[in-house]
Amino acid sequence: MARHLRSFARRLFGVTRPPTYYLPWITRPGLECTLVLSNVEARFKPEYSAGPFPVSIVQYDAVGRAAHRYAVTLKDSTDTIEVPLHPAVGGCGFVTINGSRLHSDLYVTLSDGHDYTATHGRGEFVEGYPGLVRLLMTAACAVASTVGRTLPVFTRNQYVYLGHDSRSHVLLMNLSNVTNWIRASASAGDRRLGSLLLRLPPMGAYLLDVASLGSEPASGTTVWRLRLEGNAWFNLYIVGAGSRGLAGPLSLMHVK
Amino acid sequence: MSATFYERGYDHHVEIIHQRDAEARRRLESLEVTLYDAAGVLLATPKVDPAQEILNLGALVADTTNTSERVMVVLDARYDEAIFPYRPHHYAYLHRAGSSAPPLYYAINAVLGGVPDRVGATNINNFETYVFRQGPFAQRHSVLLGCLARFVPAQVQVFTYYGSRRIARDVTLAPKCHVEVPLAAEHEGERLARVEVKSLFRLLSYVVGRREDTGDLVLFDHLFTYVK
Repeated sequence: MARHLRSFARRLFGVTRPPTYYLPWITRPGLECTLVLSNVEARFKPEYSAGPFPVSIVQYDAVGRAAHRYAVTLKDSTDTIEVPLHPAVGGCGFVTINGSRLHSDLYVTLSDGHDYTATHGRGEFVEGYPGLVRLLMTAACAVASTVGRTLPVFTRNQYVYLGHDSRSHVLLMNLSNVTNWIRASASAGDRRLGSLLLRLPPMGAYLLDVASLGSEPASGTTVWRLRLEGNAWFNLYIVGAGSRGLAGPLSLMHVK
Repeated sequence: MSATFYERGYDHHVEIIHQRDAEARRRLESLEVTLYDAAGVLLATPKVDPAQEILNLGALVADTTNTSERVMVVLDARYDEAIFPYRPHHYAYLHRAGSSAPPLYYAINAVLGGVPDRVGATNINNFETYVFRQGPFAQRHSVLLGCLARFVPAQVQVFTYYGSRRIARDVTLAPKCHVEVPLAAEHEGERLARVEVKSLFRLLSYVVGRREDTGDLVLFDHLFTYVK
């Protein structure tokens, strides 16, 4: 029902959803973030398999600015290109990838120079709201934020893990051209823990330290339910951190 | 069915319900768990409460087996079909206790078990690939394969690519058997660029990366499936 209502509202207000492939990025001192691009699936499409495949990349920083742009060309369907990403404001965000007839999974890797972790991106969309709707949404969210709330148009549920020497943080990405007020609330069993109201600029991102939502466990691994509500489309990646927290080696992982 | 591998020493938690499901659906009707060793021997069929949300694999394997080897964990989870006809898509979290490596979070393979000609798959789901970075990293890669078929062995081809060279390896997996197939980091001076796994039907398959010095997992993920 909610899905149909949202779909109707999108048509009514002229919200666009251009298909977009995106990947998260994180940089830290001593942590390199590199994209791995290929189009290996193209070889199953004889009419398109010859290449070349030009690919353009836009790297959005945490405040939603297009901080860096990259352009590469895959020679053919067996070619693989690594694109090291530059540091940018906030140390996290997402990149959008544009390449015609690009069908394969694209990867993002994090490396401390010793080894690397990797995950793939997502072929989804970015929401575009017309100017008047952006104004109305901004006003409504400003009112809701005074009581620590947002307009819960989109909701995501995600388990997060806190262990003695590991935990899963969450990289939130605002995939829209409107300011996204995202309310994050954690619970464990029947117990409510903390909540936070985050303000993500259009195309911006936020690395949520899950420990900021409640007391850390003394031992063992604790699993919390994290509920995320936002007024516009957003998505998330899990950020795995070891004993050195966000200053050490990290992993990124997509969620359903 | 869904399946994964458990290795001793890892903190490994499986989300047995789909975290995005509406609250009313967040209870399984049934959950059957079976554990197999690499030779396909049934180790245990532990009773698991389907009402829980997270399954601690480390505790489960330690409580029900005495093996220290890798275990294939098969999850047969069902919702009440009147409420929700689909099966949950499990995710999991794993981290080796005491390791400085970051924890990993991954989507558990959905696998076709039973009899191959009755599984009714309509897409190409048995031809998978994965690409690797070219730098000289201190990690080694492999693919973990498992066969959930009931009666017939599975023939698997694992192709590794080094520059323009392709190396083929055949693997035969009897029902319920599993194996780790190491992938050489280099061949004739060329770095490992890609792996492909081909089989007659969908197998349990993960691409794995381990730190060279400690063996700690730094990659545990599904391969890319050709679907077009």
